[in-house]
Amino acid sequence: MLTIPIETQILFAGILFFLGLIGLLVRRNMIFMLMSIEIMLNSAGLVFIIAGNHWKQPDGQVMFIFILTVAAVEVAIGLALILQVYHHYKTLDADAVNKLRDQNSK
Amino acid sequence: MSSESLILFFIVGAVFVGAVLIFSSLVPPKSKNPQKSEAYECGIPTTGITWLQFNIGYYLFAILFLVFDVETVFVFPWAVVMKELGMIAFVEIIIFFVILGLGLLYAWKKHALIWE
Amino acid sequence: MGLEQYLLMRHELVLTLITLIILIAELCIKGDNSRKIRPFAIILFFIATVVGFLPLGEGSLFGGMFQTNGMILIMKNVLNIGVLIIFIQSYTWLGNEENKIKVSEFFLLMLSTLIGMDFMISSGDFLMFYIGLELATIPIASLAAYERTKTKSAEAGIKLILSSALSSGIMLYGISMLYGTTGSIYFSEVAKSLHSSNLQTLAFIFFFSGMAFKISIVPFHLWTADVYEGAPISVTSYLSVISKGAAVFIFVIMLFTVFRAMTAMWQDVLYITSVLTMTIGNLFAMRQKNLKRFLAFSSISQAGFIFLGMIGGNELGMTSVVYFMLIYIFSNLGAFGVVSAIANRTGKENRDDYDGLYLTNPKLSLLMMIALFSLAGIPPVAGFFGKFFLFTAAAKGGFYMLVLIGVLNTIISLYYYLLVVKAMFINKSETPIQYFKSDGYTRLGLIICFAGIVFTGLFSFVFEYIRVYAFGV
Repeated sequence: MLTIPIETQILFAGILFFLGLIGLLVRRNMIFMLMSIEIMLNSAGLVFIIAGNHWKQPDGQVMFIFILTVAAVEVAIGLALILQVYHHYKTLDADAVNKLRDQNSK
Repeated sequence: MSSESLILFFIVGAVFVGAVLIFSSLVPPKSKNPQKSEAYECGIPTTGITWLQFNIGYYLFAILFLVFDVETVFVFPWAVVMKELGMIAFVEIIIFFVILGLGLLYAWKKHALIWE
Repeated sequence: MGLEQYLLMRHELVLTLITLIILIAELCIKGDNSRKIRPFAIILFFIATVVGFLPLGEGSLFGGMFQTNGMILIMKNVLNIGVLIIFIQSYTWLGNEENKIKVSEFFLLMLSTLIGMDFMISSGDFLMFYIGLELATIPIASLAAYERTKTKSAEAGIKLILSSALSSGIMLYGISMLYGTTGSIYFSEVAKSLHSSNLQTLAFIFFFSGMAFKISIVPFHLWTADVYEGAPISVTSYLSVISKGAAVFIFVIMLFTVFRAMTAMWQDVLYITSVLTMTIGNLFAMRQKNLKRFLAFSSISQAGFIFLGMIGGNELGMTSVVYFMLIYIFSNLGAFGVVSAIANRTGKENRDDYDGLYLTNPKLSLLMMIALFSLAGIPPVAGFFGKFFLFTAAAKGGFYMLVLIGVLNTIISLYYYLLVVKAMFINKSETPIQYFKSDGYTRLGLIICFAGIVFTGLFSFVFEYIRVYAFGV
């Protein structure tokens, strides 16, 4: 059976994490920002599964199930809030949503 | 696995992603043809915008579906080892169901189940 | 193995029960009567707070996932008191016409976050910790967007959910690296296999960034002021006091137990961030005209002071952190209570609007003065003792330079706290806020805060009581 070395697996998770992080920083559409965060959460979950496999424990997978749930909850609430922001601002651009800011900074 | 090599991989991961992003913005030939930005370059021209407004009802149903979709993730492992875990686990899963059911009742009371 | 072992999680069970009762009550209520939930929920929660003070043993449940001891019990009780005050303070605001369709949701979401915080403080492994943390964070985001008609509220909600999701993602990545290197998610096992290897250091930095978001430590504080300004005042005070308090508690426990092997390393991290937090929080607080933003930055700088107590790693430090949080809850809620009472009545939130407040509303301005003095740490009031013990703990650990910076920052902070006091007592205004009589619940909340500030400052046994249960690295 072909086994992929653990370093490669971790490297894959690391790339995924940074893709998510860069996506969050580069993208200005709030829905894509939320998706990038989901990618980050999933990459952390992937590391849990890899590590669980490495240590021959079920803990990693248990952790992943809960991460999955929490990610679903976050998306649900996040989308609801995005809808509400869209209702007020008529845009999904994160830079346009800036009514709250330091009044002193011009 | 030694940690130094993992850190190295970690940095390689960051550099790799950054390099690919920069590389892909530098290398390809730039074409300003408006047809390039269409969704189906060689197909029929699309009509309307991509950010269609969906009926909000879809969203509510998707959320409610999500709740019971994720619930399965928890129920399935329990069902596999139900006999070994015994009565305590059964009571616990019943409590879990009751709380979820209360959530559904709440959605019902707030008229989230009516298609408008 | 009887059922009575589950009594160890009495706080959580009682809170869950109350939450379910309120949910069922909401389901049974017909029409527009959900305002009647308010006294019902407050009385239920009052009972829960009292029940929380009953003595309880130590122990752990679910194979070590859940643990409790005397210190954790005190922390939970401190949080309960704070939430009770917030419930009482928000009574009037919840009675407003636009809130009448969503009164019970306020209580439901608040109580769920409190359950999350209790589980988080009691957690014995990273799974329970993570779930507790998320349960404590996500509902708050929807509460920040509670005022649906206001644009600012929606913006606060989206900013909070995006930044908190980012922070928990980063933290989770750190936890996953810890699991990868140690092979366990249980705190006790992780503590044994930590040896400050490079990857574990990186994991700690990731974990620290996640926690720093929740406590709003300086490089990660950018969301704080915006969210505090946009959210309803009750939610703002909840964020600045209860959320921050719970995160501080679990952070101090984890630093002292899980990351014990890395003490030298985390002391460096805490040193730098606490200096940055105190200074930048203070500098920004000076420029704020909006009182909610002002209190946001003041609470950022207070978080820097709290790190002074942790950095020594001694049991005096843990005592002083918990004691300071207790005082901070009373003082900050007192200040927010006054701001909220005035904003509810007049809609004014700026410092200039407070000119000449003493002439029209002497009691409110006196309470505001005491609360601000307590936040600043002026001797006769409780806040002085809180800061004093924090400084003592840091000095005991040998961080004299840091104590000096802390004292300097206290002096700077005096300036902007006194600006508000000056506006109320000395400045003249042609159109001061008219005299008004608050209703019973607002007054009750303010009186509790006042009594708390005085009581915790005058009687030393509170400190001694906490100290019995404290432990060091």
